[in-house]
Amino acid sequence: MKVPSTLRFWTKMKRISEDYQSRLPDNTALKQQQLPAYRLQLSATGVLSGFFAAGAFCLGMGIILILSAKSIKEIEVKYTKICANCAELREDATNFDKECTCSIPFYLSETMKGNVYMYYKLYGFYQNLYQYILSRSNSQLLGTDLKDVGNCAPFSNSHDGTPIAPCGAIANSIFNDTIILSYNLNSSIPIEVPMLKSKITWWTDKYVKFQNPSSINLSSAFAGTTKPPYWSKPVYELDEEDPGNNGFLNDDFIVWMRTAAFPTFKKLYRRLNRIQYFIEGLPAGNYSFNITYNFPVTRFKGEKSVVLSTLTWSGGSSLFLGLAYTVTGAVTWLAAFSMMAIHLMLKKKKMLFIQD
Amino acid sequence: MTAVKDATDDYFRHKSDNQVNNRLSEVLINSKLQNEKWMNVKVGDIVKLENNQFVAADLLLLSSSEPHSLCYIETAELDGETNLKVRHALSVTSELGADINRLAKFDGIVVCEAPNNKLDKFMGVLSWKDSKHSLNNENIILRGCILRNTSWCFGMVIFAGPDTKLIQNSGKTKLKRTSIDRLLNTLVLWIFGFLVCLGIILAIGNSIWENQVGDQFRTFLFWKEGRKNPVFSGFLTFWSYIIILNTVVPISLYVSMEVIRLGHSYFINWDRRMYYSGKSTPAEARTTTLNEELGQIEYIFSDKTGTLTQNIMTFKKCSINGKIYGEVHDDMGQKTHMTKKNEPVDFSVNPQADRTFQFFDHRLMESIKLGDSKVYEFLRLLALCHTVMSEENSAGQLIYQVQSPDEGALVTAARNFGFIFKSRTPETITVEELGTLVTYQLLAFLDFNNIRKRMSVIVRNPEGQIKLYCKGADTILFEKLHPSNEDLLNLTTDHLSEFAGEGLRTLAIAYRDLDDKYFKEWHKMLEDANALMDERDERIAGLYEEIERDLMLLGATAVEDKLQEGVIETITNLSLAHIKIWVLTGDKQETAINIGYACNMLTDDMKDVFIISGNTAVEVREELRKAKENLFGQNRSSSNGHVVFEKQQLELDSVVEETITGDYALIINGHSLAHALESDVKNDLIELACMCKTVVCCRVTPLQKAQVVELVKNYRHAVTLAIGDGANDVSMIKSAHIGVGISGQEGLQAVLASDYSFAQFRYLQRLLLVHGRWSYFRMCKFLRYFFYKNFAFTLVHFWFGFFCGFSAQTVYDQWFIALFNIVYTSLPVLAMGIFDQDVSDQSSMDYPQLYEPGQLNLLFNKHKFFICMAHGIYTSLVLFFIPYGAFYNVAGEDGQLIADYQSFAVTMATSLVIVVSVQIALDTSYWTVINHVFIWGSIATYFSVLFTMHSNGIFGIFPSQFPFVGNARHSLTQKCIWLVILLTTVASVMPVVVFRFLKVDLFPTLSDQIRQRQKSQKKARPLRSQRPQTRRSSSRRSGYAFAHQEGYGELITSGRNMRAKNPPPASGLEKTPYNSTSWIENLCKKTTDTVSSFSQDKTVKL
Repeated sequence: MKVPSTLRFWTKMKRISEDYQSRLPDNTALKQQQLPAYRLQLSATGVLSGFFAAGAFCLGMGIILILSAKSIKEIEVKYTKICANCAELREDATNFDKECTCSIPFYLSETMKGNVYMYYKLYGFYQNLYQYILSRSNSQLLGTDLKDVGNCAPFSNSHDGTPIAPCGAIANSIFNDTIILSYNLNSSIPIEVPMLKSKITWWTDKYVKFQNPSSINLSSAFAGTTKPPYWSKPVYELDEEDPGNNGFLNDDFIVWMRTAAFPTFKKLYRRLNRIQYFIEGLPAGNYSFNITYNFPVTRFKGEKSVVLSTLTWSGGSSLFLGLAYTVTGAVTWLAAFSMMAIHLMLKKKKMLFIQD
Repeated sequence: MTAVKDATDDYFRHKSDNQVNNRLSEVLINSKLQNEKWMNVKVGDIVKLENNQFVAADLLLLSSSEPHSLCYIETAELDGETNLKVRHALSVTSELGADINRLAKFDGIVVCEAPNNKLDKFMGVLSWKDSKHSLNNENIILRGCILRNTSWCFGMVIFAGPDTKLIQNSGKTKLKRTSIDRLLNTLVLWIFGFLVCLGIILAIGNSIWENQVGDQFRTFLFWKEGRKNPVFSGFLTFWSYIIILNTVVPISLYVSMEVIRLGHSYFINWDRRMYYSGKSTPAEARTTTLNEELGQIEYIFSDKTGTLTQNIMTFKKCSINGKIYGEVHDDMGQKTHMTKKNEPVDFSVNPQADRTFQFFDHRLMESIKLGDSKVYEFLRLLALCHTVMSEENSAGQLIYQVQSPDEGALVTAARNFGFIFKSRTPETITVEELGTLVTYQLLAFLDFNNIRKRMSVIVRNPEGQIKLYCKGADTILFEKLHPSNEDLLNLTTDHLSEFAGEGLRTLAIAYRDLDDKYFKEWHKMLEDANALMDERDERIAGLYEEIERDLMLLGATAVEDKLQEGVIETITNLSLAHIKIWVLTGDKQETAINIGYACNMLTDDMKDVFIISGNTAVEVREELRKAKENLFGQNRSSSNGHVVFEKQQLELDSVVEETITGDYALIINGHSLAHALESDVKNDLIELACMCKTVVCCRVTPLQKAQVVELVKNYRHAVTLAIGDGANDVSMIKSAHIGVGISGQEGLQAVLASDYSFAQFRYLQRLLLVHGRWSYFRMCKFLRYFFYKNFAFTLVHFWFGFFCGFSAQTVYDQWFIALFNIVYTSLPVLAMGIFDQDVSDQSSMDYPQLYEPGQLNLLFNKHKFFICMAHGIYTSLVLFFIPYGAFYNVAGEDGQLIADYQSFAVTMATSLVIVVSVQIALDTSYWTVINHVFIWGSIATYFSVLFTMHSNGIFGIFPSQFPFVGNARHSLTQKCIWLVILLTTVASVMPVVVFRFLKVDLFPTLSDQIRQRQKSQKKARPLRSQRPQTRRSSSRRSGYAFAHQEGYGELITSGRNMRAKNPPPASGLEKTPYNSTSWIENLCKKTTDTVSSFSQDKTVKL
């Protein structure tokens, strides 16, 4: 009886001692919170030199940006009011089949050198409304399933139930003015300025996001669908001149479908084709925009304009970024100087204090 | 997530509870003793207990191994008192003895009071064998006691489980939440309000917009189905925005907080500096929800026994005939401090010496060798005048059974110096004096009580001389000295003050030679007095007074109530951290005061020590009022009550001034406290107590401890911490914000109820000053960043609302919204919340003042919250309006559209991720590898996820889920987008840096200063601040404290507690002055008196 009990005692002791050993926490840097570390501390020299450097950078960048923004040549022609009669005509939706054109002459005082881009610009058009942005079907636009009208309601199916292609509010509200720029070389004969409609879309949009349904010809591919109610032509007849620019792959359509972030936006419409007279860009002279006015902006108190612009190294940047950089740089320097003053003053005080 | 963590917490708690519940005790089942788990012990069971066992339930004592069925219990778990207490069985049941068959047949019926929490009262009646016997507290052994000096006893369970008095005293368990939690709940409500406000603003905006613009716009779009009533549209918009902006309400915050707290708890568990190798106990964070509150403690309530003290008494010093022994002198005769180097006195020549006893002054041994008669007399007295019982164990070693540890220390000291107390009978005491056995005849035993504060024995030595040996409080004894002692008296007084100044418990020692005739007369009078029916006690007391005079002073003893290691430093450090420490003990007033002095909580520098010990409500009120008058009066009159602390380390530039409104201390007795806690005096009490530097409550019941804690909690709204080791601290531990249990001891009750546990009081310093402070610091930093981040992230939707017709369009991609808080930004802030350190742990310990921001709640409060909010709003403005401005009339580098909604979303998201990452990088003050990995990793993750989700491949598979195809590639290759991101980052971070820089420069906090100092002195590690050794100037004060209880004298003289194997000689019987009932009666009466002076005692007729 005694032997087993002592035995048990010893095994118990052993277990306890093992237990005790395992209870001592490990001496690792992590567990003892002694991980080697860099103690970040804002030192006066570090902060001040950082501020001066940042200020200098911002000021420099600001000046560069302002200068380059100034170098951009831009002409904007608002044509809502100029073409008031057309606007009035479009107020009434029943006049949709009546054509209305409008010609706006203007004078370019300076040559626009380099690549010139033509944009249309809309004011007060809310392409960023929640329901508006949703109202499209990416899978339909991919061409795989035309009947997939997803979130397009109420522009998903026509009254008889055939799916609309392209469906949705975005597609339905496409910008459908035609703008032609003509150059009056001599006072009498206007020349149509050659414009390109290629490469005005993102590469991924053109080649990944938008695909036509595969078929021998487009009209048969889109068979079984109907055009959006606002459109005058079906999607496969958007560009009568270039058959490759039709269907979902129409460049103007793709540009429109990339919805703008804010209610005022400009979208690329055409690029200048730099041939003949226009190798250098747009020469100074008399021009006119010949506009086929279809898009009724007055109904929502919007405005539209056409913009001709050149670019710089950073794209078509506006003055804002340059100004913002300049202001930030100036404020940073101001802060740096005042911090330095305060710091030095305190240091002096401290020295005096210690000398006392 | 929180629930899961709480569940695991509870599981582990449950496990350790099980450990207690599954303890075994021997229960009599079916006439056999069987082991049964504690949790299965039922009322009516008969339980056998053995020596040094914990009592499992409240028992009625039936019989025990000792004569007269006495049994000794230690109640340190219950009330913190260190002396042994006697319980005895009824004479009718004691006959049962250890006869299991008879015990099994025991069929008495106990009718008693309902379960209650009064530890010192019990009333009941036992009906057995057609007779009724009344029961009182003396027959009951309570759960939580430990059986001592009794080899076995049997008891019947009266109360079990939750009905036991111990558990009744432990109070209710409340769910503890930290003050930050409560603040957060308020803030979350505010944020909800803010959210609703935003929603309403946007909804109104939407109604107006719909009315003015939207209507026409829809008409234009032919979107007639989409047309709505503007008000209805606004209503829908409101709910849409509530959903969109709900990220401003920090839901993931709670989860992250729990993760951080868990991390901090693990750090506590892993801390080797809180690991006590002596008992192999690491510190343990038993709850993981309270860590940051550890950094906000203002009041600590500490138990005494087992927490501050080790409950070990050691004989430290003595003064014999004007000569002090026990100090270590170097060669020059100068006093030096005790160090480990000193050789202890070698007691190996004495075979009976106790090995554990150590004494460092060799001169005492030399004096003994020289044959100094006074030294002999001194040691003889120690060996004779006591109530210790001796016993020889199987190995022939002498074992002392002591009822108070003080006496044990004294008798053991005498034993080691050659005056070995061997054995006693009711009439004799046998002492081995330097090798020769001497038997003294014990003529009278003048017992100890709280009024007399002394005890004496009158013995006749073999030479026939009659001597009275007396030991007791110096204040009392010095009045009884013979006038010839004056010189010695002065000398001894100096020594006593010195001892008292060191916090030692002192006793003065004196003797008197009596002549035969005088003694006989006196003895006769004593016997007469004993025979008296009334006024007996008064008469006896008078007789005692008479014979205890003209004493010859021998000297004084100094016993150390050994403090736990590092208690003094810990208390000093914690008070430097402005933490107030209150001692709540069940022990006597003298003992408590003594410990107060020993731990430097009470000092002689104190202006006044108020002692409240009134017995009635009126007295207590009067005392409190007087104390208050005294306090305020003196405070007004004296301007030098302000004490300026100057730290060496912080030199001229940063003198830390600390004004203390005078140094006062309050000592309050348990029975006064009962009155003081009544509603109308409460305010006075709390006001007074909070003005005092030190508060000591003595003789308090466990429930009163909790009441005191509650009082401070409710009236001061301060964060409290209670620390204790025994079951009597459970209620206090539960009611304080933080409960700390001292683990590694036998009793587990306190640890089980606690939130944190460790083995030594001194670890409290590290727990609070390092872990608590860091936890609070990290948590606050985390919260500030988290709120900032959420505001910055969410409010851009609000600004965007004004430009998108309030149509509830989000700024970001849905995927980004889903992943932002969880994937892109959670880990860096978690790493900061877990690992950040502003100053090192060493500095935290060296500069306890660093603890202050936590107490004042400076790092995260409503004010700070508004600053975070403003910071977040500013960032969101910068984040939104700089891209907005830049995107106006912009075109890409190839003339294409870049101001589209998707590009805007990508630009904003990228800016946001970069801005918040830069912000966390600035906030992180302790960059470990983990922080690097998490911060850089988060940014890398963002870009890789972004490019993956915008890739052609994933669009090909899910065209409608990932419509942002090609966006990252297109936008992030535009220079102007990067310029926008850069500007946004600079603009949102720069003001923060300016503010921080100026704050550190103009209003540096202590931690800033320390960090700067450390940076400048990087090579030379700063010296540990040397605090001046606080050694009090000794002044006249009695260090008297004696954990003794009256009643033992009678036990000894009656011989009732002697073993049967030591039968008292026949002559002893006739000398026994009392009959057997009367001494028990007296014992009962007197012990209850001392246990509780306000308990109404009922004399029991047996």
